[in-house]
Amino acid sequence: MTAILTDPPLLDTSRAAFLLEPVAINVASHDAGFTPSIARAHGCRISADRRQVTLFLSVLRSRVLLRDLRAGAPIAAVFARPINHRSMQLKAPVAEIVPLSPGDEQLMAAYAEAFAAELSGLGDGENFSRAMVMAVGDEAVAVTFTPTRMFEQTPGPAAGQPLESGT
Amino acid sequence: MTPSLGSLRSCFEGAVPSAIATCGADGMPNVTYVSQVHYVDEHHVALSYQFFNKTRDNVLDNGRATVQVVDPDAAGHYRLYLQYLRTETEGPLFENMKAKLAAIASHTGMSKVFRLLGSDIYRVQRIEVVPGNLPSQSPLRDNLLSGLRACLADMALSADLAHLLDATLAGLESRWNIRHSLLLMFDPDRCCLYTVASRGYDRSGVGSEICLGEGIIGVAAREQTPIRIGHAVQEYRYGEAARRSFARSGADQVLDTEIPFPGLPDAGSQLAVPLVLGRRLLGVLYVESTQEKRFSYDDEDALVVLAGQLAQQIELLSLATENPAERPGSKGVGAIRPVVRGAAVAVRFFAHNHSLFVDNEYLIKGVAGAIAWKLLREHAASGRTEFTNRELRLDASLQLPDVTENLEARLILLQRRLAERCPAIAIHKTGRGRFRLDISRPLQLEAATAG
Repeated sequence: MTAILTDPPLLDTSRAAFLLEPVAINVASHDAGFTPSIARAHGCRISADRRQVTLFLSVLRSRVLLRDLRAGAPIAAVFARPINHRSMQLKAPVAEIVPLSPGDEQLMAAYAEAFAAELSGLGDGENFSRAMVMAVGDEAVAVTFTPTRMFEQTPGPAAGQPLESGT
Repeated sequence: MTPSLGSLRSCFEGAVPSAIATCGADGMPNVTYVSQVHYVDEHHVALSYQFFNKTRDNVLDNGRATVQVVDPDAAGHYRLYLQYLRTETEGPLFENMKAKLAAIASHTGMSKVFRLLGSDIYRVQRIEVVPGNLPSQSPLRDNLLSGLRACLADMALSADLAHLLDATLAGLESRWNIRHSLLLMFDPDRCCLYTVASRGYDRSGVGSEICLGEGIIGVAAREQTPIRIGHAVQEYRYGEAARRSFARSGADQVLDTEIPFPGLPDAGSQLAVPLVLGRRLLGVLYVESTQEKRFSYDDEDALVVLAGQLAQQIELLSLATENPAERPGSKGVGAIRPVVRGAAVAVRFFAHNHSLFVDNEYLIKGVAGAIAWKLLREHAASGRTEFTNRELRLDASLQLPDVTENLEARLILLQRRLAERCPAIAIHKTGRGRFRLDISRPLQLEAATAG
């Protein structure tokens, strides 16, 4: 499963672009006893070679998940576009927790604005839409991983089917 | 402080998708969405099982799931740490979730994709409040408890069944601003529900029928569980249900004896609450609104309490009519006999389904039709006008199913259909368990042969 650098990245350009749309992002891991942990991410960034995905998470609101990731447990993240239900899940055996890089706060702010607009467009109230993307600010951290598995997650019988690179 | 599961029920209304995390035997986590988180009781939730997927594989393997739910008001996040217990594939909980899933599927354009295979029941081990939630700013709304109290007080003043039914629906409107409502009684003999009272529709629809198990009303009745839907959904529209059930029924029940259901063609919210005494089904209270998500879990609670009280009172008032009151004095207001004049009304009776037609227009069928025919024949033979519930009960020719048969409801149905379709024949209550037949035009009675 180890990605060899000469392999094409799992994410093609269109899938990488999807992750950057106004999608809801939920991230999971588990503790030593296999109790799942879960938290919402506030945007993401993708490396130029599309091999690395970086999620932004609130330290305050993701305490248990970050603890599990820090302990070396694997990561799963689902990206779902509210307006059309298109969804995709990425998984990796390990994730790294690092401080935000310059520009990440701007990415988070742009994500918050786009996601709130998406929810408002679906009829959610202004207060609700804003609360969903409440400012995480400088207490956020970056969670970086190299996806090794990718799954179709759009609701329906095909949900859960593995997706290969370039398929 | 950890909130109670009940205080999070608004998170389960489906406004915001709930994310579910599980863990495989290989230690790989999985995260996706669950269509429905259903509040079972203070310690249990049920999740919809629609496909055999990784989530289900993981849950069957180690039993653990963590669900993140979001309140639709201030977007507060909560995590439920769950332990899988069992899956139900039939019964009230399953039917309830199936109806809701159909609503969600219809709302999201996925009717063909979503089908409930089971209700997975989990124990809630722990609730975590995600730190930093904003305070909830629930919009002000009518106080349900005070409305319930006022409704029950209105109902308690009812001295007869007809008044009780009308007072209940009037109370829903004045106390809770529920403007469209129906009361249906159960006919155990024919396994259907018939409308006896309605409020808020262009036509009353009294006498219209729904088969047990058809639509939201029929399923709520069959499973004896309230069903609440917050989106327009084709499969559970009672109009559709009525059409389907009549299409299936015998040739004697084709359109000419069908009374159209009233009801909103574009209901955004529906709630059907069965009226039950012990395990015995009496009927269904049904409310609806054009507005989506109009009825909450709390509304459902309140209407279930109301329905419980209504069922008790229906039973009490029905039993009371079995023992008629003293014969009313001749000075009673209703004692003035109408003058019989005008063109004759042709009344035809079809014995095979006890259906009655007035001037070739369908009036009623079944038990109420048989009662009407008996009254009219007795009146024709002897000029008799005063009758009691008791003598109807004892009349073997009417073939009333048993003592639990709600005869009083049949009389209300007959009375209302006559008032709507044939005012020349009227039934007036003259006391507990007593009524009078008033005929104001000459009648031509004819017992027709079937076919």
